[in-house]
Amino acid sequence: MKKSGQTASLVGKTTLLLVAVIVVGLTTTGLLAGSIDRRQPPAPSTSEDERLYLSGSTARRMSLAFNGLAADWYWMRSLQYVGRKLLMVPQDVVLDDLGELNLKLLAPLLDTATTLDPSFMEPYEYAALVLPSIDVNEAIRITNKGISANPNSWRLYQHLGYIYWQQKDYETASQTYAEGATIPGAPNWMEAMSARMAAEGGSRELAREIYQRMYAQASEDTVREMARRRLLQLDSMDQRDALKHILALFQERVGRCPSSWKELERALYSMKWSVDVNGAPLDPSRTPYVLNTDECDVRLAPNSVIPHR
Amino acid sequence: METATTALPRQQEYLTSGPVVRIWAIARNTFREAVRDRVLYNLVLFVLLLTLAAVFIGELSGGQERKIIVDLGLSAMLLFGAFISIFVGVGLVFKEIERRTIYAIFSKPVGRGEFLVGKYLGLSLTLLLNVLIMGLGVSLALVYVSEGWDPLAGTIWAAVVLIYLELLILTGIALLFSSFSSPALSALLTFFVFIIGHFSSDLKSLSNSLGSTAARWLFAGLYYLLPNLSNYSFITRAAHGQVPDAQTVSMNLAYALVYVAVLLAAATLIFRRRNFK
Repeated sequence: MKKSGQTASLVGKTTLLLVAVIVVGLTTTGLLAGSIDRRQPPAPSTSEDERLYLSGSTARRMSLAFNGLAADWYWMRSLQYVGRKLLMVPQDVVLDDLGELNLKLLAPLLDTATTLDPSFMEPYEYAALVLPSIDVNEAIRITNKGISANPNSWRLYQHLGYIYWQQKDYETASQTYAEGATIPGAPNWMEAMSARMAAEGGSRELAREIYQRMYAQASEDTVREMARRRLLQLDSMDQRDALKHILALFQERVGRCPSSWKELERALYSMKWSVDVNGAPLDPSRTPYVLNTDECDVRLAPNSVIPHR
Repeated sequence: METATTALPRQQEYLTSGPVVRIWAIARNTFREAVRDRVLYNLVLFVLLLTLAAVFIGELSGGQERKIIVDLGLSAMLLFGAFISIFVGVGLVFKEIERRTIYAIFSKPVGRGEFLVGKYLGLSLTLLLNVLIMGLGVSLALVYVSEGWDPLAGTIWAAVVLIYLELLILTGIALLFSSFSSPALSALLTFFVFIIGHFSSDLKSLSNSLGSTAARWLFAGLYYLLPNLSNYSFITRAAHGQVPDAQTVSMNLAYALVYVAVLLAAATLIFRRRNFK
């Protein structure tokens, strides 16, 4: 009885010792790994932009039956790639204006994702919206590849039409919307959009309709946010036109530019314009406009979330 | 716990019964053995994977969590199933020989073919349970992320059937190799067939593009000889809510059944000549 008690005690001590070795060992290896990492030279900033090891077609062959999962991986990598680059810039940029971020890997990533899974629509949408400011030819090529693989998807024609519209090629944009409108299941507004594109390609109202459609249909939050901000920008453009008109009337009446918004208080009040405590009119994001007294002009405040271009 | 008194009449029953009863007895025991060997523990890992995906993938995927759950869930189903088919499949015969229990089995009126078919069906049953639970897991994960019924939770089952058929073929291949080779070599060869089976369209295009008649015949022969597993790959399309038509499923079912019959026949032919002395 006493012997078995001693054996149990020994087993207990051994177990405790082994657990202690595991805990201490793991802690030590963790600390060592951290120390080794700190001694490593920092990775060059260009390493993230190194070319992909595999082309889309090779990745498709190598993925066996797992091409859908591999496509998801490349899609998430695209989002992370853009997200990391966005974190590196101090100012607020809009998704369709990322040309200065040097996103040269985005086109191959989206191309690989769509080669692995040609029915995966979101990468096509992302390519149509984000890529034109980086590489418009790639944006057109990837969207056309999507149309070849999914000839019944009218939304891809909508994306392609949007690319041409952004490039101010209103005739090709109109033709693209018209082609998309012939696809069974395409909404009636595609045909109307084709006609409007041909007649009033560069108008603000058409731009508003394009972004309203995009906002309503976007499956990705960042795309919806981009459309929302572009709509705010269009509203702000209308507001700035109205403010410029008020400034012009004041200048005509008084013979000089107002020195502050306070001087326009009555005019703004009569137009039921929202103003801040200093009497400055607020833009659609509730940030006060800046009065440029030198040029007698109105500008967006630098901290406004409304896109400046 | 089975006692000697209850086991005896059952043994008598097997001795006097037909091949179906004997095959079923072996299949049942193989299934029990797989459960005892904790083969189904892979389900824990699978559930963990799906839970993590369901909770966190929405943050990373830009609103594509439903597609990714289907891709991830069905791919894991195929991968885990393939591992079970290969690593358990190659040990089905070898373990009985190594533990010398095969002598006890063949001392009874059990044919070698019956033994192989029973072993095959036992592992197929294990895989069926595995696939059913995994399919249910994917459906539940979809319902969770959609916060209600999701049509994908129903449509993925056609792809699950095709995955199961692919696993049936793979198990047959593992059993064939294990009937004459060591487990390590059998696993390696089965793995190669799994990979080549997904490249079968390349074999066909290679045979069409080659100039030499002999090479053309060789690759065409390989194309028809090796299983065309790419026909069973429906995961990517299932993630978009597509469902294979009934004809595609029935043709693939017929192909799998015939191919498995051929594999089992070949395994039996080889196994019958094997000397255990």
